[in-house]
Amino acid sequence: MTTLGAVRQAIAYLVLLLVTFLICFPLIWALSTSLKSPRDVMATPPRLLPPQVTLENYRNLITGKQQYYRADQSYVPTTAAPQHFTSWFANSVVVSLGSTAISILISTLAAYSVTRFRYWGRRIIPYFSLLGYMVPSIILVFPLFLVMAELRLTNSLWSLTFGYVSITLPFCMWLLWAFFRGIPIELEEAAMIDGASRLRVFVDIVLPSAAPGIIAAAIFSLIVSWNDFLFARVFINSIENLPLTVGVMHFFEGTHVDWGLMMASAVLMTVPMACLFMLMQRHLVAGFGAGAVKG
Amino acid sequence: MTIRLEHIWKSFGPVAALKDVDLELPERAFVTLVGPSGCGKTTLLRILAGLESATHGAIWHGATRVSDLAPGKRDIAMVFQSYALYPHMNVRGNIAYGLRVRGTPREEIAERVLEVARVLEIEHLLGRKPKALSGGQRQRVALGRAIVRKPWLFLMDEPLSNLDAKLRVTMRGELKRLHMRLETTTVYVTHDQLEAMTMSDRIAVMDQGVVQQYATPAEVYNRPANAFVAGFIGSPPMNFVGTASVSGGEVALDCGPDGRIPIAAAPPVNGFSGAALLGVRPQDLEVLPARRAGAVPAVATLIQLVGSEKLVELAFGAAGKLTAQVRADAPIEAGHRVWVGFDPARLHLFEPASGRNLALG
Repeated sequence: MTTLGAVRQAIAYLVLLLVTFLICFPLIWALSTSLKSPRDVMATPPRLLPPQVTLENYRNLITGKQQYYRADQSYVPTTAAPQHFTSWFANSVVVSLGSTAISILISTLAAYSVTRFRYWGRRIIPYFSLLGYMVPSIILVFPLFLVMAELRLTNSLWSLTFGYVSITLPFCMWLLWAFFRGIPIELEEAAMIDGASRLRVFVDIVLPSAAPGIIAAAIFSLIVSWNDFLFARVFINSIENLPLTVGVMHFFEGTHVDWGLMMASAVLMTVPMACLFMLMQRHLVAGFGAGAVKG
Repeated sequence: MTIRLEHIWKSFGPVAALKDVDLELPERAFVTLVGPSGCGKTTLLRILAGLESATHGAIWHGATRVSDLAPGKRDIAMVFQSYALYPHMNVRGNIAYGLRVRGTPREEIAERVLEVARVLEIEHLLGRKPKALSGGQRQRVALGRAIVRKPWLFLMDEPLSNLDAKLRVTMRGELKRLHMRLETTTVYVTHDQLEAMTMSDRIAVMDQGVVQQYATPAEVYNRPANAFVAGFIGSPPMNFVGTASVSGGEVALDCGPDGRIPIAAAPPVNGFSGAALLGVRPQDLEVLPARRAGAVPAVATLIQLVGSEKLVELAFGAAGKLTAQVRADAPIEAGHRVWVGFDPARLHLFEPASGRNLALG
């Protein structure tokens, strides 16, 4: 490589590093803050690296212990109450997994139906379902609240689960419809000739062949459910039933914000999704890519 | 037991894909359905498989009416044009799937899969996934999946069409050997008349949903039922001349201002007289550099070398053109004046309107 080429490459890498740092800075700062004591969080000038790393914030979140801020040798009790954090985390997990399971179950069967069976309207159903997805959540939330109230599901995890299904199901069906269309029908015909029933063909042949698409749809559904704020804010009113997204808002109450707890919550909320995303990245790209090309 | 297709009709809306197909497949025979694209051969194969249902008609296996059975209940096997190997299963899994679905014991599955793999020489591929196989290997796996279940009928939908020319020739022979070994009735679909001729005990030539002729390869080649069969079977394809006529026991070409030129004694045409469609295969024309009694003058206008032979395009003035196949070392070049001999026994005369072979009554 020539000197000019090397200089160009060095500049390119520098720019990339800078942009990456800028994008990741909020996460880095959140992580840093979560590892600081209350004194270090409020110290001026602010420092990126904690002078003394502490896991106190994480410990308090997990154990539910109330934290105190020491200022000028006096104790200032906070009103932040981390004792519900583990409940919020569990609620988020239950609701996300539940809504994802229901979405995937219905969308795979629905997508297979419109792809393989012949009946009136099968061609327009996927487009119709996608139309529903294009409606903003804020418009859906109040009609859905009324439905949940009628079903006496408000303030329960079921309301969130079914609410999230209403958001994720249309897109999952759309994605899987495009995916199923790309699976050659000869595979199913071969399996039928081999003696498999239609259900067995679906389980043995179609689902494994559509695995990348199903994984992509599942990850999409998980992320949407995990990150939702609006539905949880409207449907749930008791603190112990909240998911993480709304629960951590309680750290804003009181005389001041417990930033250490808040950032520790942010890190614990982000890590599961980030890990999942990294593990499933290959399938996600394959799933969305194939759907994009074939749809 | 013979397999009988009884008055099979199949319509897709207003379009009739199959019209009154009536065939009897002898036990252990290799029967080929051949014809141009859209003739209905694949539709007929799919009806045999149970993947499509006939609009009318029935299929019998001996005394058992199988046309009402689901594909999985017919105990048949099919090799698809695309092979349709299950991509998430390895070769062993692909071959074993049909046995597994039927609840065959594991030990028996393992034994039969290994036996089939040995026959097809794919033992070393059992652990591989289809994407790691070549076209020829995939085809063998597809065959293995079919034969491991020991069905009473094999269906093959253009299994060689995705292979290169050289491999196709090799696999033709292997398929024929396999058929002779397994002695199972096989229905083979192809658009390649050469495959049909080389592999079959019987050929059903189809066009526009109708079986034009169902006979042995020799019969179809030497005594085609109509002009369509005559033109479809044989390579190079048969020459057709529309300016022929039969009169006084003679076949003549109408050369316009040059009048009628007799070319040969007429073959037996059941007393027919009048304008006819003359068919003659390129191999059956004798091209001479010098005049001979009974030979017809022509001009060689185009020469195409095809290996050990060459194709010579011959112009007969207003009567039209014919293509002859001669030895590559024959002393004939473009522009040469030649003389063409017609053997009455090798001429085919067809009714102009219907295309019916006049010799067959």
